[in-house]
Parts: sequence; structure tokens; C-alpha cells
Amino acid sequence: MKEKDKVVGTPISRIDGIAKVTGKAPYSMDHPVKNPAYAILFKSTIAAGTIQDINTAAAEKAPGVLAVITHKNVLKLNVKGGLRGGALLQSPEVDFFGQNIGIVVAETFEQARYASRLVSVTYDKKEPKVNFDKVADQARLPKDKEKADAERGDAKAALSQATIKVEEVYETPIEHHHPLEPHAAIAEWDGDKVTLYSSAQIVNGAQSAAAATLNLKPEQVRIVSPYIGGGFGSKGGQWANLALTAVAAKQVNRPVKLALTRQQMVNSVGMRQHNRQKISLAATADGKLTALAHEIVTHCAINDEFVEPCGDCSKIMYETPNSLITYRVVPMNLILPTYTRGPGKSTGSFALESAMDELAYKLKMDPIELRIKNEPERDPSNGKPWSSRTTVQCLREGAKAFGWDKRKPEPRQNSQGNYWIGYGVSAGTYPAHQRPTSALVKLKRTGDNVTATVELAAADLGTGTYTILTQTAADALGLSIQQINMKIGDSDLPPAAGAVGSVGAASYANAVNDACQKITDELVAKSGKQFFARPTAAQLMRSEKLTEYQTRVDSKAPESAEEYSAHSFNANFAEVAVNKSTGMIRVNRFLAVTGAGQILNPKTARSQIIGGNVWGIGMALTEESVVDPRWGNFVTRSFADYHVPSNLDIGNLDAIFINEKDEHVNSLGVKGIGEVGIVAVAAAVANAVFNATGKRVRDLPITPDKVL
Amino acid sequence: MRPFTYTRAKDATSASKLLTGNPNAKFLAGGTNLLDLMKEDVERPSTLIDISELGLSDIKTISSGTNKGGISIGGLGKNTDAANHPLIRQNYPLLTQAILAGASGQIRNMATNGGNLLQRTRCPYFYEVAMPCNKREPGTGCGAKEGINRMHAIFGWSEKCVAVYPSDMAIALAALDAVVNVRNASGQERSISMADFHRLPGDQPEKDTILTHGELITSIELPRNNFADKSYYVKVRDRASYAFALVSVAAALETSGNKIVQARIAMGGVAHKPWRALKAEQLLVGKEATEANFKLAASAEMADAKPLEHNAFKVELGNRSIVLALQMAMNGGKA
Repeated sequence: MKEKDKVVGTPISRIDGIAKVTGKAPYSMDHPVKNPAYAILFKSTIAAGTIQDINTAAAEKAPGVLAVITHKNVLKLNVKGGLRGGALLQSPEVDFFGQNIGIVVAETFEQARYASRLVSVTYDKKEPKVNFDKVADQARLPKDKEKADAERGDAKAALSQATIKVEEVYETPIEHHHPLEPHAAIAEWDGDKVTLYSSAQIVNGAQSAAAATLNLKPEQVRIVSPYIGGGFGSKGGQWANLALTAVAAKQVNRPVKLALTRQQMVNSVGMRQHNRQKISLAATADGKLTALAHEIVTHCAINDEFVEPCGDCSKIMYETPNSLITYRVVPMNLILPTYTRGPGKSTGSFALESAMDELAYKLKMDPIELRIKNEPERDPSNGKPWSSRTTVQCLREGAKAFGWDKRKPEPRQNSQGNYWIGYGVSAGTYPAHQRPTSALVKLKRTGDNVTATVELAAADLGTGTYTILTQTAADALGLSIQQINMKIGDSDLPPAAGAVGSVGAASYANAVNDACQKITDELVAKSGKQFFARPTAAQLMRSEKLTEYQTRVDSKAPESAEEYSAHSFNANFAEVAVNKSTGMIRVNRFLAVTGAGQILNPKTARSQIIGGNVWGIGMALTEESVVDPRWGNFVTRSFADYHVPSNLDIGNLDAIFINEKDEHVNSLGVKGIGEVGIVAVAAAVANAVFNATGKRVRDLPITPDKVL
Repeated sequence: MRPFTYTRAKDATSASKLLTGNPNAKFLAGGTNLLDLMKEDVERPSTLIDISELGLSDIKTISSGTNKGGISIGGLGKNTDAANHPLIRQNYPLLTQAILAGASGQIRNMATNGGNLLQRTRCPYFYEVAMPCNKREPGTGCGAKEGINRMHAIFGWSEKCVAVYPSDMAIALAALDAVVNVRNASGQERSISMADFHRLPGDQPEKDTILTHGELITSIELPRNNFADKSYYVKVRDRASYAFALVSVAAALETSGNKIVQARIAMGGVAHKPWRALKAEQLLVGKEATEANFKLAASAEMADAKPLEHNAFKVELGNRSIVLALQMAMNGGKA
């Protein structure tokens, strides 16, 4: 195929776009099933204690009700089956406010919800641990070995001897993922097998966790998840609602649909934890870092631990002889935190990159130059060479494109009418991995027309997986995108990695490419001919007059990838306008420059990056889930209270990709972009707010009251 | 939501009669607030009387009575139509600004003018039935007073309730001395000034207004004034659109030269009702329209504020917002 005919790397629109905007793409609750019943969860109204009595008599008699399920009559489930967050109705214990305590199944959703209001519950209450400030000093070392204290050199000693230091505490609040599609599932039993139509970022993971929880074998559970209305980590690990939908369907012997309400999302499917992060930096007068300490205190669930890795950026971003990263965690009566877009890196980078800005200001150095001065030649955490590293390029190209030279180093120097204008910069990173993924390619020829069906249990979060895989297969097989039928999102298909941790594109695209190369190899061998130039699979199907041919590949990262430290990198540039009277902040311009290897589709990639930027701007300015410090309930339960940025809050968003070829990361040179787009964004905005106003806000979000 | 019966009313009087006959009945107009509250089990009407097809949506010049020459807005007209009507845009740009500062385009297309006045607080303790709330369930206590109260009142709250009233439109109406016309089941009409229409919580926070059960808002009258070229609505919020006010200020001035002849200031986000800043207004009349005088007036008003644990910032923000609104009003509402 001639280069100009290649579709990989071209900005084609999503192939599923029309289906989505015309409502033809089925999301979890849209799949047609025969005679479904509707279920709703009901939840605890205390944060700690034991259910003394639960009276369901009135609910059972309510119109249309088919079943009321509580811990007293629920099917026995395996609580260690791999679903996250507990709340499987297996005991009367209550560990957090809004824990699932029952299910009502009825003929309609409205009847189920009404009946759920008729359940009365009495509790033996315990004093809940719901005030982070009060329990933070009880935080202990996490059980996760990855979160053990990590020290190189002697950071504390270096800090005590240093004269130029920044030592500050940065706070990021609890956040929720709030995908537009709330978690929902349909369960349909056929004998001892169950099909779960749901929304899963890890199709095979959902299958194994649901099966184990339901005490079934994986092959007895099928997950069907062709479209996902956003997940951002909350649909990576699956939660109780998935198994409870199957339980409800079993109980009433009918297909059951169970969707969470928006209000229920805050205590059903995880959240981003509240992080208290102390950053200590020491530097020489010319800006060489001599110590970097990142000490994190956070919380987890009462009986389960998750700690997002806030120290990851601090591990690898800058060269320093003395480095210390520590985690401490305290169990609280709140739902288990979980992976949330850019887990750890987005929040950790807020602390690190704010502190770097504070240090640059102290040193009277340009913050870009300070970063470049401390650029590490190898991964400081393990000594491995970089597969590629683009931090300096991102900063330099971004500075030029953004007009960084117009920035005034001192705050309150750029006044436009009733606004202070400020510029901020930050740099970030996210690891790049390829995870094992299988793919099946089926070729079919009718006359001269060759078509291909490609199958793998991949997930498309709405980000363009269908599109980039179709592009990859088209080029690899010598077909047009119209000739490719991409089938993903079904556990009956060959197993695939999850669309999590930015591994989706690299894992899937390499697997699809490997399968297409393999089928071409096999067809060449089958022909018994010698070719001057490698023919395409499509040409071979025609020349060999084959009508059908298929092959499957089990693909994984090249072994040599382990020898390198592989990451995507970015630099973020923000211009903010802060109203001098009211403190309201608008992001006038935001530019993200990203080095992420081969970009398969610049259009969907740009959408990914600017979507991540909006998330990061939300983290900086608006998003916060607030817990009542007495009772443990979230008071921010809807989009009226949980603010994501609106169009008016942000002016121009722009994304630039570094033109790079990473030879080491994987055979296609693809790195992830789903997470890196949010990393360090909040710091760029906060640094711009400082540059505008002289106010250094170290606790997010930066609401108007904090800059008055 | 709980099961309810639904009746479509044919005319205003029969609508009121249907309501009067049933203490648990409610009028349904745009439904943008009531239906949400029903889904959350906060409002539990047994009957909804749909009044959306009663007409009562005209916007017209008042031809007789006290407010002759002013404008009357139908109680069942849509917020969007009120905001964009040429008579309102020309004569009461403050009202246009305030309406457009609230909610979203979609909601304003559904929401009615009367319904806007009757929307309930967005206090999260009111919205979650598992929480104590004297407004939702008298006698259960106030969850917000010792709880999360960043969004709550700094003026006029009581031990029973610290909620704030959420409307933007009503803040402008308060500043414009609007009058709310209502009619009951017997066809009796009365006119209530905006200052009296909403209540402070006192011992009965469950009552937002002085309306009696069965009274229907037929129209809102805007008296003639000379504020059209010197008015402005400032709304400070956590994001630039689709967020309730931290503090808002509707300001209107009539001047002679640089001397203030009349001043109207009403605040939102600070009390259980639109808060008329009467102290500030009185201090401004007869004074020069200078920043120094604006600041004096603002600080006199805000001196009476009694902030709660999380909303002390509203005092400073109120000060600044009053000054900003007055300055913007003097600039003819242009930034």
C-alpha cells in the first residue's frame, strides 16, 4: 500500500459517531431483553453500625413489587470474588453511608423506587470515622508493597542542611468520576449461565469478578459491553451493582435491569481519595535539586485498601541525589476509593508541580528553565534508559506556541480591565505499557471484494477504540475502513486487556496489527510463492482465490520493552483571568503538548487530550465531593452541587503532539493518551492563578472565595 | 416517586378550587424543580394540577391602576420569553440579566415566572430525605447549621433554618419593587410586594412565602422607573454558568448628574429571601456616585451579616459585589 493511502495517523471521524448521535448504539440499559423487571438499590442512612431490623413488609405489598432482597434473604455470594467496595448484602454490618442494604425488584422503575422508600430500617449505630482532619494522625503504612517508603540518598538530611527550600502541604479533595452513563446492568439467566449487559472498561475482568462473586465459573458469565458512556476508572474494577443485578434476576426468574441514580453514584462505585501531600524541595542557588521528599497521607475503606500513587511523578520527573516518597493511609467509614483518571499522577503532580513553581519563584528562575535544569538522563527510580522522553521538547515547543515570553515573572503585573491575567506551566508523565491481548481476524472474499472481521474483548470508553483499531486493521490488511467489521466489548471474544491505565490503545492496536501481520504471513506461506514486495492479505485472498480464512494471535509486549522506562510526557500551559472584584477565574487559553509516540488518529487523540485537560481544569477550579463531617454523607450528590467546568469557564483548548518515534516501547510505538491529558493540568492552572494574583492556593479546588 | 393523580386544569379559578380541596395537592407548571423534588421524595404531593395550559403568559404594558405604564408579566409565561421580550430588555435590562444568569437555556425554556418565584432552596440537607431538615420535615432539626454551610445564609437566618433562596430572577424583581398578583379559589385577588412575598425562616422554615394554599400567581407587575440605563446584576458563583450564587447583587440607580436620586440594591445567596439592602440604599440617596460612597454603603449593609462556620467569605464578597454592581450600573451595565 502506498503511504498516502494509509489511514493510521489520519484524523478520520469516529466510525461509531453516527450510531451514537442517532441513538442506535446500545448502552448498558438499551439492550432488548424479553419482559424485563426493574430493580433499584436502597442504601444505608448511617455510616457505621449494624442493621438491627429491616422491615420490608410495606414494600413487598406495594404495587408491582416482585421481590425485596436484603441481607436476610439474599443469595450467598463470595465477597472476595473481585468486585470492589463490598456492599453485597452479605451481612448486616454497615461500613459507610449509602452502602447498599437491599434491592427492590418491580414491574417498573418507578414502582421499584417508590417501594424502596417504604422500607424501614433500625440500626445499632457506632461513632463513624468520617472526618479526615480528625483521623489523619492515625494513618499507617499501606499494606500494598508498592507504597512502602522509597528512599534514595538521605532526603531529610539534605533538606535540613539546605538554605533554599520549599516545604508546603497541598490538599486535593475527594472527587467522583461521574460518567454521563451511570453504572447499569441487565442480567438475563439461561439455566445456570448469565449474560450481563453492562459497561466494563475491563471486559474479562468484569467476567471473572462477576463469576467468582456469584460462585460461578467464568464461562458461565458473559459480559456484553459494546459501548461505554464514560468510565474514567469507575468501570475498571466492577462494583456490587453488577452481581446484585444477577441476584435480582435469579430471584424473580426474569431479566432484570438495574441502573444507579446519579445521587447513588457517590457511594456506589468508588471515588478519588482526599490527599494531603507534603512536598519538600531543596535546591542550589542555580536551581539544581538536592532533595525531593513527597509525603502522602490519605484514607481508604474500613475493610479494604486502595491508595492512589501520588508519588509516581515525583519518582521520575527530576534528577535529584536525595529522594523520599512515603504513603500513610487511615481507614474511614467512606466507600473504597479507586482508580480515577490519571490515578495518583494527576493529584500528585498538582503538589509536585506547584512546589516546582514555588521554587522557581523563590530562585527568580523561569519555571521552564528550572525543570529543564533538572531533566534526568535516565529513570531516576530504577536507572533504566528512557524508551523516549519528550519533556524538554514539550516545554520548548509549548513555550513557543503559547507565547510564554509574554509572561511577567512577578504576580499582579498583567492587568486587563477588572481582571488579573496570569500564565502557568507544568510538566507531567504517565507510564506506557502494552498488556497481553488476543485478537482474531477473519477474512472473507466475495468476487474481488475482501472484507475482514476483527474480534477482541477490548473496551471503547467512548474515546475511539473502534476507530483506531479499524484504522490499524485496514492498513495492516490492505483494506479500506469500510471493509473492516470491528467487534469488541464481549467476553465471548478473544481476551483483551482493559481500557485502563492508558494501556488500551497500545495493547489493542498491537494485537490487531500482530494478528493482521500473522494472517498475511500465513497466506504468503500458503501460496508457496516468492514475492518481491510483501503483498497485502487482501491481495492474497484474491490471488489465491480463497473465500474464507482466519487466524488468531496472542499478543504481548516485546521482551526488550522491560529494559526501558516507557512513559508518555506532557507540558501544560494555562492563561487565566481572575476577576479582581469577585475572584471568579476563567481559563482563557490552555495548551497541552504531549509526547505519546505514534498517534493513531490525531482527531480522537486531540479529543482525549482536551477532555483530560477539562478534567484537570475541573480539579483545579470546581470539582469537590464534600462529606458531612458528622454523618459521612456526601452533600454534593448531583451535577448542581458537583461542579464540572462549563463552556463559559474555558476559552480556547489546544493540543499539540510531539512528532516522535519510540522504537522501544512496542512494535507500533504507541503510548497511551487517556491519562496523561489530566496530569499536571491542575498545577498549571494554580500556577497561573499565582502569577495573576500573587495568591498561592494549595488546597483545591480554587473557588472564588480562596482568591479574594 | 410516590403515586399521585394528575389533573389538567381548564381555568385559573377551577385550578385553585381543585387545589384548595386537597391539602396535599400541588400546581404543576414547568416542573423543573417540583419533579426533581418528587423523584428525591422531598415533595410528596398526592395530586398534581397541571396549570401549564391556562394562558396567563402575556407580557404587556399596564394600562391602569397604580402601576400604569409599567409592564405585567404572566405568571405562567416562560423565563426565556420574559428575559428576551423587547419590553423587558428595553425597560428592565436588570431583569433580563438576572433571568439569564440562572439555570440553563433548557431549564429556562421550561420554567415559568411564577414557578421561579416558588422554587425551593437547594440546601443539600433539604434535598436528602435521610438528613434532618426543618424545612422539609418540621421538628427534625437543621442539618446545615452545624454542618456544611458554605452556600448558606448570612442574613436573617434562624436556629431552625439557615437555607438560602435560590432564584436569580426574584433578586432583580425585589430590586425593581415588583408586585406579585395572586388569585384564590373564590376568585379573590390580592397584590403582594416582592419585599413581603418571601419570608424569613423564623420558627416556620417550611413556609417559603406568604401564599395561602390555593392561591395562584397570575402575574408579576413591574412599576415604571428610571433605572433602565443604570442597572446591573452581578452573580458570583463557583463556575461561570449553571451554578447557584455564592452572592449576587441586583443594583439600579437613578442619578442627576453624578448625584444619586434613587438606589435599589437586592442580594441573592445570602438569605432565605431576596435581601433588600435598605441600609445601603438609604446611605446612597443624595450622595455622589463615587467608589468611596459605594464602599461606605456596602460595608454599612454587610456589617449586620452573621456568617456561619463555612461562609464568612460571603461578607467580603458581598461588600465587593455591591460595589461592583453599583459601578457597573453607573457604566450603563457595560463591563
